[in-house]
Amino acid sequence: MGLVYVLLASGMNLIIAISGILFLAYGQFYMLGAYILWGLMVLLKVPYFIALCVATIVPAILGGVIYRLIFQRIQSMGRQFLNGIVAAIGLMLLLGQAALLAFGTSSRGVGSVFIGMLEVGGVRITFEKVVLIMLAVVVILGLHFILQKTQVGRAMRAVSFNPDVAALQGVNSNRTYLGAMVVGCGVAGFAGGAMAPVFAISPSMGGTITLLILLVVMLGGIGSMPGAILAGLVLGLTLSFGQYFIGTGLVQILLFAVIGCIVFFRPGGLLGQPTEELPV
Amino acid sequence: MGNLRKNYLSNRVNRRSGKVVGLGILALILILMPVLVPNTYYIHLLIMVGINSVLAMTFILLLRMGLITVATAAFWGIGAYTSTLLVVRLDLSFWLALPASTIITGIIAFITGFPLVRKGGISFVIETLAFAFIIALVFGTFDVFGGYTGIYNIPTPEPIRLPFLAPIEFISKTPYYYLMLFLVSLVAVVLSAFYAAWTGRAWRAIGLSPRLAESLGVNLFRYRLLAFVVTAAAAGLMGSFFAHYYGSIVPGTFGPFKSLYAQVYAILGGVGFAILGPIIGSLIMTIVPEVLRIAKEFEPVFTGLLVILLVMFLPDGLLGLSRRRPQPPAKSMARMASWIRGFLTDHSRSDQQ
Repeated sequence: MGLVYVLLASGMNLIIAISGILFLAYGQFYMLGAYILWGLMVLLKVPYFIALCVATIVPAILGGVIYRLIFQRIQSMGRQFLNGIVAAIGLMLLLGQAALLAFGTSSRGVGSVFIGMLEVGGVRITFEKVVLIMLAVVVILGLHFILQKTQVGRAMRAVSFNPDVAALQGVNSNRTYLGAMVVGCGVAGFAGGAMAPVFAISPSMGGTITLLILLVVMLGGIGSMPGAILAGLVLGLTLSFGQYFIGTGLVQILLFAVIGCIVFFRPGGLLGQPTEELPV
Repeated sequence: MGNLRKNYLSNRVNRRSGKVVGLGILALILILMPVLVPNTYYIHLLIMVGINSVLAMTFILLLRMGLITVATAAFWGIGAYTSTLLVVRLDLSFWLALPASTIITGIIAFITGFPLVRKGGISFVIETLAFAFIIALVFGTFDVFGGYTGIYNIPTPEPIRLPFLAPIEFISKTPYYYLMLFLVSLVAVVLSAFYAAWTGRAWRAIGLSPRLAESLGVNLFRYRLLAFVVTAAAAGLMGSFFAHYYGSIVPGTFGPFKSLYAQVYAILGGVGFAILGPIIGSLIMTIVPEVLRIAKEFEPVFTGLLVILLVMFLPDGLLGLSRRRPQPPAKSMARMASWIRGFLTDHSRSDQQ
C-alpha cells in the first residue's frame, strides 16, 4: 500500500507544483483506473498489461480534457487558487457519484494475475506484489527522467519556478499545465490499475485517499519528487505496520500528530522549500 | 463644489437608508419564515443553512488573512462534543452548556493556535488538515466520545420560561429556527464588529500583504491567533446548537470534508462579502440539491456540475454579480463562444497574469 501512496503522491505533486491547482478530484482518477482495469479484465478478458495501459491512458486523456474544459478558464482569471479548489471539489462530487451510478455500491475484485510466492531471506512476498513494486519503481524513475532530462520537463520546472518568467522565455505555460495534468492523471490511473489485483475496488475509494495524498505531498514538500517518495513510504509503512502493533485509531492519531510536528519545524515539508504566503 | 458634496452626502444617506430598509425587510421575511413555510422539512433545511453559513463565515475571516483552514469542522465538532458531554455527563443545562462550550472551544483554539498560526501559507493548510484528521479520529477512538457510533439521545434544550407567557418548549422545529436565527445574527454582529474595529483594519492589512503589515508594526502572530480563536469559538457555538438540535452526533460529520464544503459555500457566495456571501452560498448549495432531488441519484452529479459552472463563470461568487456592471447578454454569449473556441483550437491564453 505504501507504494500506491508513493505513486499517487508523485502524480499529485506534479499537478500541484506545476499548475498550482489543488486538485482534490485526484482520487477519482485512481478509482477510474482501477475500474477500467476491472472492466477490461473481468468483463472483456483482456490481458493484464494491455488493460493496465488502457487504465493509464484513459484517465490521462480525461484529465487533459477536464483541464481544457474547466481549469484553463479558471487559471486565466483572478482568485485561481481558491476557485480551482472549489471546481475540483465539484468535479470530485460529479465523478464520485457518476462512478456510483455506473458501477453500483458493491466492491469488486480482480482475481490475482500473477500466482506464486517469492522467498527473499526468509520473508515471503506474493509474486504479485513484487511485480507491483517493480512497475511502481519504473514509473517513478520514468517521471524523474521526464522531469529532469527532457525539454518538456525543463519547461515544467521553469513554469513551476516562476510562470511569468517562463512565459517570457517562450514557454507556453498553459500547455505545460495541460501536460502536468495529463501525466498526473495518468499516474493516478496507473496506480489504480496496478493495485486493482491486490486490493478491493469500490466507488468510494477515491474520496478519503485524496486528502491523505494531499498530506503526503505537503509533508514531502511541494515540488520535490524525492520528498513525495519518502513521505509516501513513511505514511504507508507506518499505517500498515502500526495497525498490527498499536491499533488503527491510535496509530493514525500519532501519525498525524507527528506530521503536524514535522511541518511545524520544517514548514516546506521534509525536502521542500518553505513558501510563506499563499496566492489567495 | 458644495453642490457636489451635498449630492455625495445625500447619495450616501440614501444608500444607507436603502440598506437599512433592505435589512429590515430581510429580517421580517426571516422572522415570518415558519409561518410562510409550514413544512417542517424546509425549516430543517433553513436551520442547516444557518449552521453552514456560520462555518463559511469563519472560513472567510481566516481567508482574508491568507490562512486557508481545513479545521473549521473540527472546531464545530469540538463545540458539539463539549456541549454534549457537559449536558449528558455533568447534567448541566443547555443554556449553560452553550456559552460554556463556546468558551472551551475558544480556549482549545487558543492552545492549538499557538503552534498552528505561527506560520502562514501551505504549512498552515497541512497543520490544520492534520489537526482535522486527529480530531475526527479522537472522537472515534476514545470511549468517552462514544466511538464511531457516536452519541444518541442528546437532551433537547430546557424550555424557556418567560413571565406572562407560555413556556417555550423545544419540541417542534420552530423554536430551534428562532434560536438559530438569533445565534447566526449574533455571530454576524460580533464578526462585523470585529471587522469594523481596529482588529478588522489590522486583519485587512495582513490580508493585503503580511510582510508590509508586519513592517508597519502589526503583530502578525497575535492578530492571526485572535482571528483563529474568534472563528473557532463561533464554530463551537454552532456546534453546541447543532448537537442539541440534531439529537445525535457521529465523528464522521466533523471530518475534513465538511470544512471543504464550508469553503465551497464561502467561495460560491463571494469571498468579498464576509457576512452575506456565506449565507447566500450555503442557501444556494442547500436549496439546489433539494430541487434536484427529483433526479434521484443524479443529484450529486448535477450539483457538482453546477459548482464547476458557477466557479467558471462567476469567479467572484454570486454576490460578485452585484458589483460588476451587468453585461449585455450578447456579450456574455460572445465570451462563452470564445471560451468554446478556445477549447477547440489551441491558440491558448499562455499570457496569463
